[in-house]
Amino acid sequence: MNTTAHLLLAAALLSAPAAFAHGPAFDCYLEDAGGVKCEAGFTDGSSAAGRTIQVRDSRGKVLLEGPVAADGSYRFQAPNGDYAVTFLGGDGHDATLQSFDITQ
Amino acid sequence: MTYQRPLQALAVATALSLSGAAQAHFQVLYVDDTALPRAHPLELAAVFTHPFSGGPTMAMGTPLAFNHISARGEKTDLRSYLRPVQWHSPDNAATAYRASLPRELVRSLGDHTFVLEPEPYLEAEEGLYIQQFTKLVINVGGVPGNWSEPQDLPVEIQPLSKPYANWTGGVFRARVLADGKPVPFAKVEIEYLNHPVEFTANGFAKTAQVKAPQASFNVQSTYADDLGIVTIGLPRAGWWGIAALDIGTKKTYQGKTLSQDAVLWVQATDMQ
Repeated sequence: MNTTAHLLLAAALLSAPAAFAHGPAFDCYLEDAGGVKCEAGFTDGSSAAGRTIQVRDSRGKVLLEGPVAADGSYRFQAPNGDYAVTFLGGDGHDATLQSFDITQ
Repeated sequence: MTYQRPLQALAVATALSLSGAAQAHFQVLYVDDTALPRAHPLELAAVFTHPFSGGPTMAMGTPLAFNHISARGEKTDLRSYLRPVQWHSPDNAATAYRASLPRELVRSLGDHTFVLEPEPYLEAEEGLYIQQFTKLVINVGGVPGNWSEPQDLPVEIQPLSKPYANWTGGVFRARVLADGKPVPFAKVEIEYLNHPVEFTANGFAKTAQVKAPQASFNVQSTYADDLGIVTIGLPRAGWWGIAALDIGTKKTYQGKTLSQDAVLWVQATDMQ
């Protein structure tokens, strides 16, 4: 699967997260001074702590990568240009947000 | 003139049957949708009315408290967002409140609880005050949270089912609490919001969704069980108000009898 198809699939999954007994729930929003805060979790209430978040540029290159914190959050400074943020929820439970969809 | 009297008597009897005990007072706390895939700005309405008949609506005083409780239990005072409006019911118009909440307040995944503590309302005809502590729970993104936790209110209805995830035709369970303790055999009333909210008109739709075959159907009455648990059905999509009546320990206000009631709103959604 190419990157675009992968992102589309992830977007489709994200649009209906509650349809899974254990599905990913993921959202990001802008904080002050260019900071982005993401929240990751699962629809059965289980924690996403320790799961990986990736920030990629428009060509799919990984710019940032790190673990979800104990409170379910992941923070980063928004890179220049378009980017995508992916929550690697395990077992195919990935969810991706595009930067144009990340607002206050 | 004599032949008009039976008609006048009939008119009076009809008026009595429409305004009598078959209607319940309900503090409405309304939002269009309670289960949001992603957060968006929220439009809320707080209206003290008779939801099945869409009125008459009673004038609200300035609410004593209006709080948001986040998924992590953080409380935010929302009183500064409240603005009084004239709320239009099919029969009358009266002061209610609206609040336009920015997305930032509710953008976190999980449960968001809204609690309204109104100023006690003087029911002049009965010479008593009514104060309905009202809760509304919404969810963002499908991550479950603290929807079932009591909010330390003098009186409240503690959900035992997710208030925002109910199919039409399902059952809903809740526990009636006063000072955090169950209230066995509490008197409970259930009423359907029969006239949809129209935010653009600041009011309820003129046309009712359903027609009751007889006045007893306007409000369903039941009692909690010996553990204070009440179970209700949700036979139609839309909003159902649950009110536990006169369960507070505080029984007087400004020298008059006070009924402290607990209200919870539940949204039912059709399977389709």
